[in-house]
Amino acid sequence: MTRRTIGIVDYGVGNHASVLRAFQSLGYRCRVSRDPSVLAECDVLVLPGVGAYPTAMSALTACELVGFLQERARGGQPIIGLCLGMQLLADVSHEHGVTAGLGLIPGEVVPLTTVPWHIGWNTIEVVNGDDLLAPSDQQSVYFNHSYVFRAPEEYQVCVSRLDRSFTVGVRRGKVVGLQFHPEKSQSVGRVMLRNLVEGLTRA
Amino acid sequence: MLKKRLIGVVTVRQGWAVQSFGYRRYLPLGKPEVVVENLDRWGADEILISCIDRSETGQGPDFKLLERIAALGLSTPVIYAGGVRNGADAVQAVNLGADRIQVDAMLWDLPAELELLSRELGNQALIAHLPVSIRDGALYWRNYRNGEECLLDHAALSRMYLEWVSEVMLTDWVHEGTPGAFDEAIPKLFPLEEKPLLLFGGLSASAQLQRVLSLNNVVAAGVGNFLHYKEHAIQQIKRNLVGVPMRAAHYASEER
Repeated sequence: MTRRTIGIVDYGVGNHASVLRAFQSLGYRCRVSRDPSVLAECDVLVLPGVGAYPTAMSALTACELVGFLQERARGGQPIIGLCLGMQLLADVSHEHGVTAGLGLIPGEVVPLTTVPWHIGWNTIEVVNGDDLLAPSDQQSVYFNHSYVFRAPEEYQVCVSRLDRSFTVGVRRGKVVGLQFHPEKSQSVGRVMLRNLVEGLTRA
Repeated sequence: MLKKRLIGVVTVRQGWAVQSFGYRRYLPLGKPEVVVENLDRWGADEILISCIDRSETGQGPDFKLLERIAALGLSTPVIYAGGVRNGADAVQAVNLGADRIQVDAMLWDLPAELELLSRELGNQALIAHLPVSIRDGALYWRNYRNGEECLLDHAALSRMYLEWVSEVMLTDWVHEGTPGAFDEAIPKLFPLEEKPLLLFGGLSASAQLQRVLSLNNVVAAGVGNFLHYKEHAIQQIKRNLVGVPMRAAHYASEER
């Protein structure tokens, strides 16, 4: 089996260490970089992120990565966005005002409606028959967020429930976004990451 | 369905993981990273690393410890507490691997700073820690650095800017380290009914954990010393929490 290379996008926001260790523990070669020439050579790009949306988009812009990520997505390079990194895939966010996102998956980032935040371990339900996430259906993963990605149904791949269901996974071709933290979801999360990498890189 | 959480608490003093008894006596356990690694393997729902002397000594957060812990490649969410003075400290702790930040001394010294932390990290990443005890039927909040206590009423809470934190940890500091001694009146006396609570201090027996975790506003319980007395303690506790929505006990042998 070919040893895949994971490019972890380092734009100065969030915790790369946990993401890096998670992929390394699965046996993948990892590059943590903001250099487009390095990232373009990787099999899969991972966009992590913790914190506020405007700060993160400003950082991506400052690192001159916005156009690069849009171009790589159009070219078919697999991209996985995690937590805030998932929200950055959207068209726009309403966190602390209106901020344009990467626009890789249609939708907008809005506050949770019935609760102020979603913290802890919750079950995910895989929808629309997504083949890569199907093995993770009904598994518990770790969440820590207060905004959600509101996407058209055709782009939803998994949902979770509090008093109502909301989108926690989106996908458009080879671009996948996960609202939760698979890298902090123990064995369940690692299995999911391996399935995603192997599935997205399959010819 | 959102699960209630069992938090493995690692108390760190002078750089060493310790067993604490009411924050008055301490027994060394060893290197914090070894204890943390065990909790990760045993399937704790979160791990709280509480460096109890960092604010008292003005050292700031223990970033070197966080670096060593990051190198372990944990797959369990980490809460860091100890010495966080401002937004820059909190952001650095997150960049070094903490998923959430817990503050205590800041609530006494500079509570308005919480708004700045929230703008950097979001309320969901912030937890307020209140060491409390009950006297004459009322809840008192303790400044652990000088022993000062004040009545924990709405007036005191309004000075803490708790609207910028997502959860509050109430620690029964008097009974901390004493098996099964947690005073179950504490969560009932806490004035903010809508704030999600984490409880810690003298929680060990499954029956007691089941009672407190059954309260609507209690979302998690922290267990410290008692996890170190025997193997598979987390799994055993979880198996005994009948009727509490918890993530199932995790065993390394089940990993695929």
